[in-house]
Amino acid sequence: MKGRYLFPWLITAGAVLLVASISLGTAVINPLRIPELLAAPPGASPDATLLAIRLPRIAMSLLIGASLAVSGVIFQAILKNPLADPYLIGVSGGGALGATIAIILSLPYVLVVVCAFAGSSGVVAAVYLMSRRMRFGTASLLLAGIALSFIFSSSVLLLFAFAGPDKVHKAVMWLMGDMSVARYEALPHLGIACALLCSAALAYSRHLDIISFGDAFAANLGVKASSVRALFWIASMLAALSVSLCGMVGFVGLMVPHFMRLLGGPRHRILLPASFCCGAFFLMAADTLGRSVVPPFEIPVGVITGFAGGIFFLAYLLVKREYRP
Amino acid sequence: MSGPLYRLSGVFAGYGGDPVLKGMGVLIEPGEFVSIIGPNGSGKSTLLRVMAGDLKVSAGSVLFREIELASIRRRELAASRSVVHQFLEQVPPFTVRDFVWMGRFPHRGRPHHRGSESGDRDRGVVEQTIELTGIGPLRNRRLDELSGGELQLVRIAHALAQNSRVILLDEPVSHLDMKHTLRLMDLLHGLHREGSTVITVLHDVNIASDYSSRVLGIRGGAAAFFDAPERVLRYDVLEALFDAKCVTVDNPITGRPFNYPVPGHVLK
Repeated sequence: MKGRYLFPWLITAGAVLLVASISLGTAVINPLRIPELLAAPPGASPDATLLAIRLPRIAMSLLIGASLAVSGVIFQAILKNPLADPYLIGVSGGGALGATIAIILSLPYVLVVVCAFAGSSGVVAAVYLMSRRMRFGTASLLLAGIALSFIFSSSVLLLFAFAGPDKVHKAVMWLMGDMSVARYEALPHLGIACALLCSAALAYSRHLDIISFGDAFAANLGVKASSVRALFWIASMLAALSVSLCGMVGFVGLMVPHFMRLLGGPRHRILLPASFCCGAFFLMAADTLGRSVVPPFEIPVGVITGFAGGIFFLAYLLVKREYRP
Repeated sequence: MSGPLYRLSGVFAGYGGDPVLKGMGVLIEPGEFVSIIGPNGSGKSTLLRVMAGDLKVSAGSVLFREIELASIRRRELAASRSVVHQFLEQVPPFTVRDFVWMGRFPHRGRPHHRGSESGDRDRGVVEQTIELTGIGPLRNRRLDELSGGELQLVRIAHALAQNSRVILLDEPVSHLDMKHTLRLMDLLHGLHREGSTVITVLHDVNIASDYSSRVLGIRGGAAAFFDAPERVLRYDVLEALFDAKCVTVDNPITGRPFNYPVPGHVLK
């Protein structure tokens, strides 16, 4: 049976990566001291302080990674397109424009997040309304999203042309997907939203199985259009939350579902939780790598995931010659 | 249950623009084996989609068991008939067993638990269906690894798990070899003998002749004839339907009419 040992492996790998992520960084903490430091009151020692900074960041990367991967699984099923990822319907373009405007106006970080979220959910709503009004099929829906993405990314570039270089740099860092700017007051809210949306997705796992065969097939089995719409919104909100908190972290939502499908098969009851774990651990590892390899500089996590994702797909193609999930 | 299974009258339906079905009317009794034949573009598939409830009609009425089809809830309709479309849009690599299980979707309100009563019933239906269709050996194979003929049998099994009393099919044997064609048609015929209603679009007039209780001929979006194969599958009727000359003999095995098209004699 395919994927029988998938979860034990995932959990083990995740635990190892978690310890590594806590230890590694600009300064290395001895892994054996982690329990002791966790028990110590905050600020007791420089290392404890370091831990207090590192842990929320790790939690953030776990949540964002999980959200993006789950969002990717849903989009690939409802759009019947293996190349679909959370950004395809324009979530990222809207988020980027919202954030860029806020950064150029030098608004505080909270408002950058708010603007990004408004931008990304605005685009989702626009795509959704258009597709409902015009009764779009999958291809038209994708095209509408891509068209809006282009319009928004050109708007971002237009703003860059007029903005000061320091603001452009700040905005570019944000766009590349940067965990270091993430503020952690949002963590509990993100955690709750992510948990709710992902459990809702899991409740729809049988619908997702059926939807991945096509619209006529799903309609014949009695899958209601409202279920598909609910799934669309779940996936979009997960993506919008991620984009507005951490910028455009690419490839997680595209690569992780594929990787998990290879290992665990196409059933969403397995695929969703597996992608949730793998996405979380993958983004945590990528962020750890980003802040550890060239201290004191940090590589934006979006750059790392882009490299990892591209190399993964190329290697897979070269080894297998043909893509078959 | 008494009364007709399907009652269509004055049905107009299409995909925007000119309607494909223009004043279609037909009455199908429970337990029939109905083949729908007609030239390309005459509205065979559209009629099937209307009867399946996939396509809304722009005029006329469609009654399923004497109830307005459009008023039946999606889930309930899904539980009371099954449809095998011409193609699967996508073939994700599920196993055959998982795929057959998907047919039980409309029968289960909530994700079910192991050992529950409805779960046991579902398991029974799935196992019975796999046995009936003879796909036991394929049980653990992946859908994308099956041959065309095997996949078609598995799709029938999936449909039977959904509902084996009323089954609608769109050209189920059009691309199958002789053996798989016979296996599949025999299977459908067996269901019909046990009281199921089979309604299928067919391209091959002779297969329709051998298996059907009644044949529905469609031309220009309306019914041209609807009668027993012995009465309507004659050269004069078929020539008018298909605009091609043919010769009718009796199939010595089944005693049903067998029609040869005559090469080089397309009319008009």
